[in-house]
Amino acid sequence: MALRKALTPLLHWFRTRFGHVPVGAWLLGAAVAAFLERLLGPDLAYLLGLGSVPAIFGLSIILKTPSLIPSVLVFVVLMYVIPTLVVAWLSRALFLWWEEQLSVPVYVFLHVLFLFLVLYFWSQVDPYRLLVLRLLGINILLTLSLNLVNGWMGEFSVSVAGFMSVGAYVSSVFMVWGFVHDDVFGPPVFPEFLAPFAFPLALILAGAVTAVTALLVAVPSFRTRGDYLAIITLAYVFIVKSTVENLDFIGGPRGFMNQPEVASFTVVFIWTVLGIWVMWNYVTSILGKATNAVRDNESAAEMMTVDTRKVKIVAFLTHAFWSGVAGGLYAHVLGYINPSSFDLRKSAEILGMLYLGGLNSVSGSIVGPVLFMFLTEILRPFQLAKWLVIPVILIYAMIRRPRGLMGFQELRIPFLTRRQQAKEEARAYGVTGN
Amino acid sequence: MALLEIRNMTHWFGGLRAVYNFNTRIEPGEIRGLIGPNGAGKTTVFNLVTGFYTPTEGQIFFLGREITGLRPHQIGRLGISRTFQNLRLWTHLTALDNVKIAYYSQIRYGLIGAFFNTRARREEEERIDHEARQLMRMLDIDQYAHRVVSGLPYGIQRKVEIARALATKPKLLLLDEPTAGMGPAEMEETMAFIRRIRDQFNLTIWLIEHKMKFVMGLCGWIQVLNFGEIIAEGPPEEIQRNPEVIRAYLGEMVEL
Amino acid sequence: MEQLAQQLFNALQWGSFYALIALGYSMVYSILMLFNFAHGDVFMVATYIGYFVATALLGLAVLQVLPFSNIVIFVLTLILTMFLASFVGIAVELVAYRPLRDAPRASAAITGLMVGIFMETAVLALLGASRKDFPLLIPPITFKIGPVHVTNLKILTLVMAFALMLLLHLFISRTKVGMAMRAMSFDYAVVPLLGIPMNTIIAFTFALGSALAGAAGIFFGMAYPVLDPYMGVLIGWKAFVAAILGGRGSIFGAVVGGFLLGFIEILVAATLPSTMRDLIAYSIVLLILTFRPYGLFGEEYSVRLRL
Repeated sequence: MALRKALTPLLHWFRTRFGHVPVGAWLLGAAVAAFLERLLGPDLAYLLGLGSVPAIFGLSIILKTPSLIPSVLVFVVLMYVIPTLVVAWLSRALFLWWEEQLSVPVYVFLHVLFLFLVLYFWSQVDPYRLLVLRLLGINILLTLSLNLVNGWMGEFSVSVAGFMSVGAYVSSVFMVWGFVHDDVFGPPVFPEFLAPFAFPLALILAGAVTAVTALLVAVPSFRTRGDYLAIITLAYVFIVKSTVENLDFIGGPRGFMNQPEVASFTVVFIWTVLGIWVMWNYVTSILGKATNAVRDNESAAEMMTVDTRKVKIVAFLTHAFWSGVAGGLYAHVLGYINPSSFDLRKSAEILGMLYLGGLNSVSGSIVGPVLFMFLTEILRPFQLAKWLVIPVILIYAMIRRPRGLMGFQELRIPFLTRRQQAKEEARAYGVTGN
Repeated sequence: MALLEIRNMTHWFGGLRAVYNFNTRIEPGEIRGLIGPNGAGKTTVFNLVTGFYTPTEGQIFFLGREITGLRPHQIGRLGISRTFQNLRLWTHLTALDNVKIAYYSQIRYGLIGAFFNTRARREEEERIDHEARQLMRMLDIDQYAHRVVSGLPYGIQRKVEIARALATKPKLLLLDEPTAGMGPAEMEETMAFIRRIRDQFNLTIWLIEHKMKFVMGLCGWIQVLNFGEIIAEGPPEEIQRNPEVIRAYLGEMVEL
Repeated sequence: MEQLAQQLFNALQWGSFYALIALGYSMVYSILMLFNFAHGDVFMVATYIGYFVATALLGLAVLQVLPFSNIVIFVLTLILTMFLASFVGIAVELVAYRPLRDAPRASAAITGLMVGIFMETAVLALLGASRKDFPLLIPPITFKIGPVHVTNLKILTLVMAFALMLLLHLFISRTKVGMAMRAMSFDYAVVPLLGIPMNTIIAFTFALGSALAGAAGIFFGMAYPVLDPYMGVLIGWKAFVAAILGGRGSIFGAVVGGFLLGFIEILVAATLPSTMRDLIAYSIVLLILTFRPYGLFGEEYSVRLRL
């Protein structure tokens, strides 16, 4: 309470000064801050006695050695807060001008580009950050694709770990067979320098194969819903795990390694953005909204000419495709997979991110994994405690907000909302126009 | 040619005979009534016609084409639509989305368009948006377009459900108790409303109703169902005087 | 043939484990219409409780001098463990399910899963470092019935499992709380008429299921003495599948499903490489549910919509 009282004037000052600064300017500010950190971060950290650049804003350092709090605070203020505020403030006019001049797609693209720069510079400082960010992208893909089935279609599927597993193994086998000198698969079939170019193909192949295997759960969904479908998806996870364990040429329970290093941060970022864009398009189209109709009342959907079987197939297969792609990325980010990396606990983790972020919400599927990973990474030094704290937080979140943080709503991005309103007014008065 | 023709339709649920030897012909432009005591099998008849169940025996023809055994969405595409006894709106969605989704079979873009937001998709969505709003304006519910339907008043929800059914461009509209939960004043209004949409959209209407006054005032031809069998049919005056009908309704005389 | 008879007893033994745990899933489902995803871990915690109770009792000199001290200690361990395990179940109910009574069911599923993960990690953190061997409560004796070897443990497990199921049946059909449970599984609305608070009945259901899981834990520990914090995941999910096979919320179905799964697994293990056990077992589950979507004894919708 006292903290809130102390912060109120600060917040007020912030809101009056920076309230109208556009999102893009903030992103630019953050990008500059991240770039500066890359240049000066190690030296500043050394001067402040931090040893190395604090990986995640120094939060795990604070938890581990509280005596370093002042140094961390100074570092964060100097390295992040001041550059971001200054640059955001200075560049606000530029972005407001762009907002008027540029078309929506170009303007959105600009934001994505700046976001990429922020993350790219930030990840260059520390290989650990690089790993975390890539896993975050993968988790967003998994959560969002799962949201299609659990949120938009209202089923309870737990098969995401199984889908991931299929995608991971298919892409790994393809890449190792094609581009790596391997004990089992022999010399590479294609020249090794082609590997990065073939990786998208490998991922699409992985997604496609995963989607085909997903028919195992999609077809029963015609006749059964709810708990029983959940069990079928559960059985799928066990079947995939057990099958992989029994296939000796991909290492069985020992696992599979030697994946070429093709999943750089840029690659993961592009696939994540692509996945979000594609799934966003789908759920905002009328074709995609029919998925909601199937959830809310299946028989009414049928009567209103919706081919509910097709809708279900598409939802499950899209879920499977993108989970397969994410699995492929995962395998190449880690460079090693084994069947137990894809057990029910993996599914539970993704479900945790999903329900934390909220059902039926694209932004929820981004917020959920970000928050979840933020927590897990801060707690990483505490190893076991991580899995004691995360369940408690999730249970608390479920009790306080059973629909998750963003359930059934989307984050409002100011400039998009403004455009939307203008369009809506035109429509409401019956004026058609694009 | 009759719009809808049903020949010797019989349906069993396990050992229970729900509909027995049901025959009818509905001509274009009619407002037809189906009445009967509770549990007589009226809704089952609608469920059979719209493909939710396949009749155990018998055939159903729509515009001369046999539709027995088709799935509901196929029947919906051919031009039969309906409302439900207890509203079955998509409760998490806005009224506008409820109407727009009913255009599903008329959408002229495919999955590629849906996933990649092609130009064709944007134009098509714009067209459907325009049409859906126009339809809602005709039914005087356009001011509720962006409200989530579960929060709307009951009467408005009914109209949204009808708008949704009309969005599928039906030739035959089945209304399952359109006045459920309404008072006498609203009933008058609903009668006028049904006549109006019949004329405006060139519809044929087949309705199930409990309230005699409503059916008698609206329908040109009425069929009475009891224990799954038609026990009487004819114009309203005749039905009112039919002793068998009166006997079937004895327990529910209050409603007469 | 001998091989088969031999396997029959293994199947009955595993079937007993599955059935006892599956009962917990089914009873909760029949009342709350949701699966208690933490139940597998309740079984795991109960097994650890059993380990501590048994070790403590074996250390008491007083009990050693009693006649039939083995049997006394076994019975005491069983009763105490079941009693303590029931509190684990109640705790799970209080934390994961009671606050979410009106929330979407998926949220309750998540809290259940999370409580399970919490228990696994807690056990791992507290006890995982050292290996725990379940103490020898009853020295094994091998009988020879014709050509088949059977240990007294297997017979004991089977007999006790059936005895407990019979007790459960009597409890549900004869006592007031049991009848309230049955009434509640038919219709929530009747509960206030019974004069027992709804939450009491629900807590009691969790307690009963967990007590049965505790019994399963003792028998399991006696047969496979090495304890592991993840045993709840391995065996609990199988028991869950057994509950599903039988049909959701059906007590009789849970028992049949448990033994059926036991037979399927042992048959697979006997005829195919043992690594195929899970694969075949779950494939069969998938097949059964694809063609009989409501389990073997579960009720279908009275009028099936053809969609």
